[in-house]
Amino acid sequence: MQSPALAIENLGFRYPGQREDLLGITGLTLDAGEQILLAGRSGMGKSTLLHLILGLLEPDRGTVLVAGENIHALRGPRRDHFRGTHIGMIFQTFHLLHGFTAIENVMTAMAFSDIPKAEHHTRAAALLDRLAITTPDAMPERMSVGQQQRVAVARALACDPVLVLADEPTASLDPENAGGAMDLIQNACRERNAALLCVSHAPSLVDRFDRHESLADLNNAASGGA
Amino acid sequence: MAITDTTFIARSLRARLFSTVTTTAIVALGVALMLVLLAMRDAGEKAFSRGRGNMHMLISGPQQDPMVTVLNSVFYTGTPRNYLRWDQFEQLRAKYPFEWAIPTQLGDSYRGLPVLATTEEFFSRFQPADDTPWSLAEGRVFDKPFEIVLGADAAKKSGLTVGDHVFLTHGTPRHGEKGHVHDEFSYTVVGVLAPTATLHDRAVFTDLTSAWILHAHERREEALGPDAGKTGPGDLLDSDKKITGVYARVLTRPGASVGAAFQQVFDMLRRDPTVTVAAPDQEIGKLFSIVSNVDRIIIALAAVVLIVGSATIMLVLYQAMEQRRRQIAVLRVLGCSRRRIFGLVVTESAVIGAAGAVVGVLISLAGSRIVAGQLYQRLNLVAEPTPEPRVVLAVVLGTIALAAIAGLVPAVAAYRTGVIRNLRPIA
Repeated sequence: MQSPALAIENLGFRYPGQREDLLGITGLTLDAGEQILLAGRSGMGKSTLLHLILGLLEPDRGTVLVAGENIHALRGPRRDHFRGTHIGMIFQTFHLLHGFTAIENVMTAMAFSDIPKAEHHTRAAALLDRLAITTPDAMPERMSVGQQQRVAVARALACDPVLVLADEPTASLDPENAGGAMDLIQNACRERNAALLCVSHAPSLVDRFDRHESLADLNNAASGGA
Repeated sequence: MAITDTTFIARSLRARLFSTVTTTAIVALGVALMLVLLAMRDAGEKAFSRGRGNMHMLISGPQQDPMVTVLNSVFYTGTPRNYLRWDQFEQLRAKYPFEWAIPTQLGDSYRGLPVLATTEEFFSRFQPADDTPWSLAEGRVFDKPFEIVLGADAAKKSGLTVGDHVFLTHGTPRHGEKGHVHDEFSYTVVGVLAPTATLHDRAVFTDLTSAWILHAHERREEALGPDAGKTGPGDLLDSDKKITGVYARVLTRPGASVGAAFQQVFDMLRRDPTVTVAAPDQEIGKLFSIVSNVDRIIIALAAVVLIVGSATIMLVLYQAMEQRRRQIAVLRVLGCSRRRIFGLVVTESAVIGAAGAVVGVLISLAGSRIVAGQLYQRLNLVAEPTPEPRVVLAVVLGTIALAAIAGLVPAVAAYRTGVIRNLRPIA
């Protein structure tokens, strides 16, 4: 049986100096290709949860399994490599690399993977073409915000991740463009059978997802369940 | 083409082009300075050693500094202060086991070029450089009074050629001074020597008798006035027959550079208060040990320039790290390990060091040529500054290592870059 793209069990986390857990999630599972919207107010720990899934923070307890692998059990470069090859990340403000063209930004994601170097350019070009980027050699800072987001989506999908994390992906966009951007992210993930965990507090996104969760409901820390 | 570590480094260097070029230039300056100094030090020592040729010792008038006599009599830096009488020279020649002993006299000049009066043995026995006998480019050597032979450079500078007639000047007038010209006696150029790459190339050679006649004529004119007439060899007194130096070589077995008797002869002459004896090799060695103290300081300064260059690399990269923290954080999320980030920064630093070293080597090659040219123009010292490949390699590798070490501080900063903190949304 295929492992779920993401499986969180008994996850607990608090920042140093905090008296109570910020996060206390009993369980959350995301199957391959599944898409979920995780809503929550600012400061509830949405970004912290993403950082825990990415393996950038260490949980105080519990496990985070990505494609069946406990990411926190991996150490040093192995964890970095696993993150790069299994998880795609779309940032609110894209974080495209300056001094690198659109296609180079996409290829950068493959630079840390096991994908043969000879395939990098072809794969990146195909991805950008699929996402309607007609000027792959343009510098991102010369592109429109919408185009930049498409480049960011292409970069997140470059290594065929099992899981894509999107952190407030529409926060930088006006409502008209926000819809288009979400179409793009969701369709691209569906095409590649990548699970999508979208973290947002935008109510307009609720209808786009079959499954939504509230971090407040998942997070039993406040109720002392942790 | 795929994105590799080389791409990251190249883009980073290009993004800070001005500081990359500046730091490279500082490193290049240090490398060039060090290589030029090292090359010139060796070349200078070789050039001086070459000029003493196959002589073992220089004997000159009493109470002089041996180093000064060598500089004066072999490298033509001035006129020796004291002299030897001819009978003294004959006694020395008879007393010691010399393979040859050649009398020389300095004191006159031609248009600033030193004139060395000597005997024909100077051309047949003395070799200006080891295993390099004299050879003529034109004409012949002198065989009678009032004939001169020109060193290769003296011929070039004076424009004289075989058959020309000249008058010599008493002493070597300072720049702008006229000096007393011996216009009673005309000399004929009979030969031009081939270049020897020694200071002898800038000298003019004549025979001893004519030099003595010139000065005897002055003595006679003072004593007799217009009745003196033209002085000839028959008018010479013993007191006119002075020499300023003797180039000497002790008996030596074929194949050996110095004879077994050398030390004994040298010690005996050193104890003789009527002469000054100097071994050119030793004096050149002493000179360079004095100079080496100075060039050690200069080499240390060049090392300081290199260290400053490396420190500049460190500061520039550290500052760049501050600006690139977000980029580093993104790369980390994309799967780049801390170690790889660390390696990228150290390599970038080493690349600047390597670029500086390569440019520095190229500048040093040109710089050495310029310094050698100046030495030849001003001192007639033929220095061939060929940098020792081993030394060049050591300086280049040392510079790269120094730059890599300088990269450690920014590399640690990059290694420790907080990913989460630097991924916060851009306002």
